[in-house]
Amino acid sequence: MATREVISTGNELSAMAGVDAGCTFFGGYPLTPSSEVMHVISDLLPKVGGTCIQMEDEIGAICAVIGAGMAGSRTMTGTSGPGMSLKAENLGLAQMAEVPLVCVNVMRGGPSTGLPTRVSQGDIKQASNPSHGDYRSITLCAGNLAECYTETVRAFNLADRFMQPVIVLLDETIGHMHGKADIPTVEDVKTGIVPRKSFDGPAEEYFPYECNATQPAVLNPMFKGYRYHFTGLHHDKNGFPTEEIETCRKLIQRLEDKVMAHQDELELNEEFMCDDLTGEEGEVLIIAYGSVSLAAKEAIRHLRADGIKAGLFRPITIWPSPAKRIKEMTDKIKNVLVVELNIRQYTDEIERASGRLDLEGLYKVNGRAISPHEITSKVKEVF
Amino acid sequence: MAFNYDSYLRLEKMPTLWCWGCGDGVILKAFIRAVDKMGIDKDDMCVVSGIGCSGRFSSYVDFNTVHTTHGRTVAYATGIKLANPTKHVVCVAGDGDALAIGGNHTIHGCRRNIDITMIVIQNFIYGLTNSQTSPTTPQGMWTVTQKAGNIDPTFDGCELAVAAGASFVGRENVTQPRKLEKLFIKSMEHKGFSYVEALSNCHINLGRKNKMASAMQNLDWIDSITVPVKKYEAMTKEEQLNLLPTGIIKQDTVVREYCDMYQDIIDVHQGKRAKITQDDFVKKI
Amino acid sequence: MSSIMNAPANTPVWVDTQRCKACDICVDACPAGVLSMKAEASSTLGAMISIVAPESCIGCNECELTCPDFAIYVADKKEYKFAKLTDDAKVRQEVIANNKYRLPEDYKGSN
Repeated sequence: MATREVISTGNELSAMAGVDAGCTFFGGYPLTPSSEVMHVISDLLPKVGGTCIQMEDEIGAICAVIGAGMAGSRTMTGTSGPGMSLKAENLGLAQMAEVPLVCVNVMRGGPSTGLPTRVSQGDIKQASNPSHGDYRSITLCAGNLAECYTETVRAFNLADRFMQPVIVLLDETIGHMHGKADIPTVEDVKTGIVPRKSFDGPAEEYFPYECNATQPAVLNPMFKGYRYHFTGLHHDKNGFPTEEIETCRKLIQRLEDKVMAHQDELELNEEFMCDDLTGEEGEVLIIAYGSVSLAAKEAIRHLRADGIKAGLFRPITIWPSPAKRIKEMTDKIKNVLVVELNIRQYTDEIERASGRLDLEGLYKVNGRAISPHEITSKVKEVF
Repeated sequence: MAFNYDSYLRLEKMPTLWCWGCGDGVILKAFIRAVDKMGIDKDDMCVVSGIGCSGRFSSYVDFNTVHTTHGRTVAYATGIKLANPTKHVVCVAGDGDALAIGGNHTIHGCRRNIDITMIVIQNFIYGLTNSQTSPTTPQGMWTVTQKAGNIDPTFDGCELAVAAGASFVGRENVTQPRKLEKLFIKSMEHKGFSYVEALSNCHINLGRKNKMASAMQNLDWIDSITVPVKKYEAMTKEEQLNLLPTGIIKQDTVVREYCDMYQDIIDVHQGKRAKITQDDFVKKI
Repeated sequence: MSSIMNAPANTPVWVDTQRCKACDICVDACPAGVLSMKAEASSTLGAMISIVAPESCIGCNECELTCPDFAIYVADKKEYKFAKLTDDAKVRQEVIANNKYRLPEDYKGSN
């Protein structure tokens, strides 16, 4: 695939990706460290006839985005932790009513106002269930500048494939990182767009929520002759509220199964310098994601120079987690170090997936990035 | 033949879930007649409702319909309208939706003057959830959260909408279904944000504990607190006390609509016009 | 289209009893004593509208406009010749309104 070289920031690349992937509506609210996404897309969208609106608050932003998405547009919003907390309820409506959208969350220190201008990965657990109730979140996590672009593009296609919100996690370090990135050409991105399915038969035979137990709803755009109902309530095949026991059960089960039955379409990991890890004593597996993986890669080079065979496992699709692959890797390699800019948020998931309680962790929550040196020191200390 | 409401209804949803005598049904009917008189194609109309008894409004009408979260109708509608500026988008919200949890969206919908008609079904109480105090519950009335008597000051949604910049503001009373229908037509014909308050009864959850247990008693009370706006304006401040004006309270046809203005932004970015400056606006502050 | 929309032959006002919730509003709204509630055990509130004086209907549509439940319909002025409002009808209306919206069984008219 042809690529092009750009010099940009993570936030800007994410905005560019949105427009290239066919986004025509952005609703946002200023929130450090994500604001540049809106700064950039507010220029890019009108160029292509799209709309960017700065709403009155984070809730208004997600609602406007869902509204435009219901009407049929590809839509996007950008925010950070406090905004995610505010958007939570309406992300739940988008899960329930199966409205696709892309939500870029540039993580900063939390809880609460936390460290607005500093890096964190404290929203990992929140991303798995931002709203109450049962559904499966799809969350992608960019680990370098190019991925701010490619993962945002992938998020749009996944949102339309699975008919639900897709969260793209950046962190402050990557969002504000300025540098060179090799990204796909606009033509390639456009060719790769897989729009949401629609029904083109007679309106009286259209039941938007009547679908196979592992498939998403088929939601036609508004104003095209297929009049139906969106609701956050449990609903029937037409979208109308119902409390009928079996209909309710099937609906929620389907929200789970439409994702989990097709995890192979979602899963994306990077295994860096893992090829020669055979399970011999002394080998080290580092698990990290997002900007931390950049430090981890550097640390692995240093460790190998010092004679320690180390590799990195990096989930790019964070939720649903690559549990099977995590189990395979952690079954093989004894010394596992999880490095996160939070306290054990993904470690808990890795423990669940691996069935191991002896994982080592390096956690940092002071708003500063983890250096390669900290990782190498930790490895030498604990293994 | 009588007026054919049924062609606009989702007949399998009838009868409505609303209580006997509920004004929501009268408002729904007036709205349907208004849409019919305007000759709006059902495919070109989107109705967005919130939470509460009024939230069910959208599920009964055969348009493109959205039942949103509590208070967020205007925000959802803003997205729908901006993505489809040529279509009709109507919000139906309760007083709790519009003036409590969703107050911010109401204010900013008015301020932007985006072409949405917001019908606020104002029944002075949280009806669906059984009689909690609303921002419009008269002081001194019984509510389930203030059984000793409501001490919370009220506010007037129409005054709020005027102050926030809505270019069309009106109020009508469910005992005047013909006037209500006309107000709906005027508000939907108006290009810009229309705030329309439909005063309605909830004899079940407001009336029962406030000496108006029948629909008629509740409606009589609403009649007693409403007065046509012309008459209201001729009154002294003392006479106006505890009365709400009905009719068209504000209509500004000069101020520009938001989707229209956004086209200027598109034109700037596409090189079709010069950048927007302060000189483009008469009132800029 | 639902058949309820079409006027039954020679009838000024008619009711869909499946939709009526017996709220009394139409009876209250009628200026001409055309409508009355009557006991009906199968209805939720134990009552149902009955059309007690169709010949007095003036076609004002008030009952239809104020009915919240799409339950009562009035014929089109072009299809039915409505009555003029009479004193007799006004008195009957007052009697009904003052008797909990029910026409007294022994009501014989105002004269």
